[in-house]
Amino acid sequence: MRLLVNGEEREVNVEDDMPLLWVLRDELGLKGTKYGCGIAQCGACTVHMDGVAVRSCQVAAASAAGADVVTIEGLGSPDALHAVQEAWVEHQVAQCGYCQSGQIMQAASLLETNPKPTDDDIDIVMGGNLCRCGTYPRIRAAVKTAATKLQEA
Amino acid sequence: MKWFVASLVASSFAITAFAEGENVSINPPADGSVSREDGLAAWQRIYEVTSHPRCSNCHVGADNIPMWSGPSYGKSRPHGMNVNAGDSRIGAEYVQCATCHAYRETSNDRPHAAPQVAMNWQLAPVEAEWFGKSMVDICNQLRDPARNGGRDFREIASHLDHDLILHWAWSPGGGREPAPYSLQEHVDDVLTWGVAGYPCANDE
Repeated sequence: MRLLVNGEEREVNVEDDMPLLWVLRDELGLKGTKYGCGIAQCGACTVHMDGVAVRSCQVAAASAAGADVVTIEGLGSPDALHAVQEAWVEHQVAQCGYCQSGQIMQAASLLETNPKPTDDDIDIVMGGNLCRCGTYPRIRAAVKTAATKLQEA
Repeated sequence: MKWFVASLVASSFAITAFAEGENVSINPPADGSVSREDGLAAWQRIYEVTSHPRCSNCHVGADNIPMWSGPSYGKSRPHGMNVNAGDSRIGAEYVQCATCHAYRETSNDRPHAAPQVAMNWQLAPVEAEWFGKSMVDICNQLRDPARNGGRDFREIASHLDHDLILHWAWSPGGGREPAPYSLQEHVDDVLTWGVAGYPCANDE
């Protein structure tokens, strides 16, 4: 089947019900998206599909065929970080870092739909992305900084 | 010959009017054939379905927060992950239901994973709030076109025939307890209740 991932057409030979996360990591070598729980309870595998944040462990490969899939590797580049990635560096959000690609993808999605989120908005939207290091206060601050960056851009 | 044509027309009518269901058969009892008592008995079974966690957990009120409850959870609690489906009832304002409840042609049977069907997951409309409501309250809601999507009993049956999220309630997988009876039995009860004149226990 053909997938559009980070703007590139990719051909993969997988079962229809293989989780998109498996396809991204094991078939396409995009290891930035993380496996956390496999049951949509933690958010570590969050990517964008047609602009919507989805848990890639829950999306069947066949459902992603024809969709525009963006992973952390496609959100920004080291030379041109996304505003959320810039804010993450400025606030030194990451500790162990395992959940952070999912956090960043969810935060970028949040700011697409809500350019000026309140604390409550951030808590509701980011509530499905768990961080065992407890970086939540910095996540909230970084989301607000990213919102300001995007508004000034 | 006349008899043959007449019976052909009659049988065609019967097919189009009384058995149009795609996933279940929709065969209401004849008009006037159901007593109020039998209608109330059908309603009692309908209520067992509407108040079951597989149905009521997403028939929640204006706070737009779905519930987790039922035998497999031990007690009622709001949906985890701080979920709020917003006024859109699909989570568009925050995290879409489809973020986890993805479109899937087959069921998602993995325990504790997000239920999925081949349509977009969503809450029922707020006017169809059932969670925690009494049998009489839900009965009056379900017979009120202003609160049931403008449907008569045939149209409620047709809705049950077509909405795949509703079908999921009877085959939820993942160790979840299904809604009682079967989809067909539930549709039959709705038709029986409707033909009886939608009786509720608070009627005079």
